Amino acid sequence: MTLRRSESIRRTVDRLVFLGPATVLLALFFVAPVIVDVAIAFSDMGRNLRVTEFTTENVRHVLTGDRRLVGVMTTTFIYVVSTLAIFNIGYGLVLALATTALPQRTGAFFRAVWLLPRMSPSVVYALLWSWVVAPTDYGLLNQIFTALGLSPIDMKSNAPMLLIVLANGFIGASFGMIIFTSAIRSIPEHLFHAARVDGAGELAIIRHVTLPAIRWQLSFVTLYQALALLVSFEYIWLITDGGPFYDTTVWALYVYKRAFGSGQYAYGAALSLGLVLIGIAVALLLWRFFDMRAMLQKPRIEVA
Amino acid sequence: MRYLKLIATAAIFGSVMSALTPASAEEVTIKLWARADRSGPLRAGNIVAAAEPLNAALKAAGSDTTVKVDVFEGPATGFDQDALDILKAFSVNEGPDVYVAAHEWVGEFAKSGYAMDMTDFIAANQWAFGDVIPVLWNATKVDGKVMAIPQDSEIRMFFYNKDMLRKIGKDEAFIEGLPAMVDKGEFTMQDLSNLAKEVVDKGAAKVGIIHRPNAGPDYLMVFSSFGAKFMDETTGKLLLPKAEILKGLQWFAWNAQNGVTPPNNTAMNWDEIQGGFKTETTFIYHQGVWATKEWMLGEAKGATWPTDEASYFHKIGWLHAPAAEKGGEPKNLSHPIVYVVNPQSKHAQLAAMLVAYATLPYFNVQHAVGSAHLAITNGEADMPAYKEAWYLADATPMMARSTFIPNHPDFGRYNGILFKGLEGVETGRLTPEEAIDFLADEMGSELGDSVTVVDSLN
Repeated sequence: MTLRRSESIRRTVDRLVFLGPATVLLALFFVAPVIVDVAIAFSDMGRNLRVTEFTTENVRHVLTGDRRLVGVMTTTFIYVVSTLAIFNIGYGLVLALATTALPQRTGAFFRAVWLLPRMSPSVVYALLWSWVVAPTDYGLLNQIFTALGLSPIDMKSNAPMLLIVLANGFIGASFGMIIFTSAIRSIPEHLFHAARVDGAGELAIIRHVTLPAIRWQLSFVTLYQALALLVSFEYIWLITDGGPFYDTTVWALYVYKRAFGSGQYAYGAALSLGLVLIGIAVALLLWRFFDMRAMLQKPRIEVA
Repeated sequence: MRYLKLIATAAIFGSVMSALTPASAEEVTIKLWARADRSGPLRAGNIVAAAEPLNAALKAAGSDTTVKVDVFEGPATGFDQDALDILKAFSVNEGPDVYVAAHEWVGEFAKSGYAMDMTDFIAANQWAFGDVIPVLWNATKVDGKVMAIPQDSEIRMFFYNKDMLRKIGKDEAFIEGLPAMVDKGEFTMQDLSNLAKEVVDKGAAKVGIIHRPNAGPDYLMVFSSFGAKFMDETTGKLLLPKAEILKGLQWFAWNAQNGVTPPNNTAMNWDEIQGGFKTETTFIYHQGVWATKEWMLGEAKGATWPTDEASYFHKIGWLHAPAAEKGGEPKNLSHPIVYVVNPQSKHAQLAAMLVAYATLPYFNVQHAVGSAHLAITNGEADMPAYKEAWYLADATPMMARSTFIPNHPDFGRYNGILFKGLEGVETGRLTPEEAIDFLADEMGSELGDSVTVVDSLN
């Protein structure tokens, strides 16, 4: 009797010890902020941060009154899709394929180079970009252009979207690269040999052996990075500040500017609520599209 | 048990001791919030220094209270952002006892109960406030009540490079006579643009006219010049006069399209902007008189300029925003900074006394001369140190054309939207007409009832 009782106590204690910290962290940093955000979104909190009444005015304004929002949504869509397709997936994959095809050391070197931007602090990284594309003759890019006999350019004014896609893409590519590399490495070597024996060329091998083998990793990186890009704005804020005009103001930056730039805290909260909903919708959609449930199923056979 | 005994003994001993020793002198710490700002370090410094005469006065009056000032320097890059930070601090009961703000924010602070009505205090302390230049009180009034104390004053101007005009062959009579022509209304805003274009076209400068890269007061005087008013004095509401603002935006658009102002002016940083003027690649720079002392005289921003009056004015001249049309009135803008006392502070009276002492010419003149801001009292303007600072003496007559920004709690946001419209026009994202729609739309939805949109003031 006592033995059984002490065992049940131990089990409860074990559960608390193992799950407790994670539960507390989740509640504090994921659940609580959403609740706070919802509460603020339905209040009249302005620049003095006081709440005098609860209202649906902010949500109504987000849905019907904000003339900037359609433009902001379009910008966000272009930014997320192009950064994701060109860099986070496309270029990440190219890097993984290329560096795994190279000799081990050379491959590792190039991967390390592509990891550098991720390791540098955001502000430093953004500042470097600002200097590279500075519209004066002293900007690094313009120095190269002038040396080549071309006329200097002003990317910040004339191609701001390209600029933020490049700046974010150079960082984003490394995430996919690492995951795809390890996935490619884990493909059994004999599949490549068999394909070669059957007369497959490099492209055919990629198309018919490598890509199907890393399907789950591709799906996961797409889903994960789409969500990450949707809410990321720090590089955009630091490099173009969302400008010129609203040209590079993505939703997350728009939320930040409304809330902390002009002190419309309640309205910013309502806007970010919209972003949360869109994030959930995108996640569910991609989850369904990639059939992620199949990936999370228990393996049918025991792998030793 | 042993521990309990020990604690009990200690407690009894402590209470007996404290009953025997006389109450120690009370030291009051006054929290001051002042944005870290190179163009006016003594805004905080003068309050700190004012503790000395205040403590002397307290001692003389037989009080054993002493005052110490604890300064917090806000890291914000501008007064708007700093004001939002102060509001945040207040909302979590960490607000200062006294703080430095741009005058147009007093309305917002007053609305939230963070600004003390100074009327009685001023009446009771005429020794400090009696000599304040009367017009400055206008900048501190909210609904007719004085809610802050002026800390400094200034004037804004177009700085123009005379050497460049010499280079393109203008004669001295024209170069030196330009300020007078502007003052008489004979030289218009468009004339200024044309002149800047001529300077650029003839290769004497790369940039014709440059202005600040963020929301602030300077460009407002351009709109004033085109007849715009930002507040309806009778209703107390903000005002968006479409026709007048449109004319101002058209002026900025013309400059951006004709190579006078760089289309990316709003995306540049201060160093680029000021450096361009200092290294003499920019013809006209638009800001305030304090820039003279901050980086024009001597070595700064990539070049060294003379520090004496004659040589400086041989190189640089000062202009109001010219009239919109011939015979019209040129405009200027003053943007006083103020001290605000927190009425909820336990030590509000002591904080207000510090402000009173800091207002005295002895302290304020050090700020004025050191940072090239104009005097706030007549006595200060008569002090030898002030008179010796030629840049102040020469700027004072320009005060005659001064206007102020409205003291409306929503003006910060109004100005932010106006600047966004200006950015849209300069970068070519909006035509001036589209920008007017943008402004009306954005102000209507963001500011609602507090702004009235009118087609024209006439």
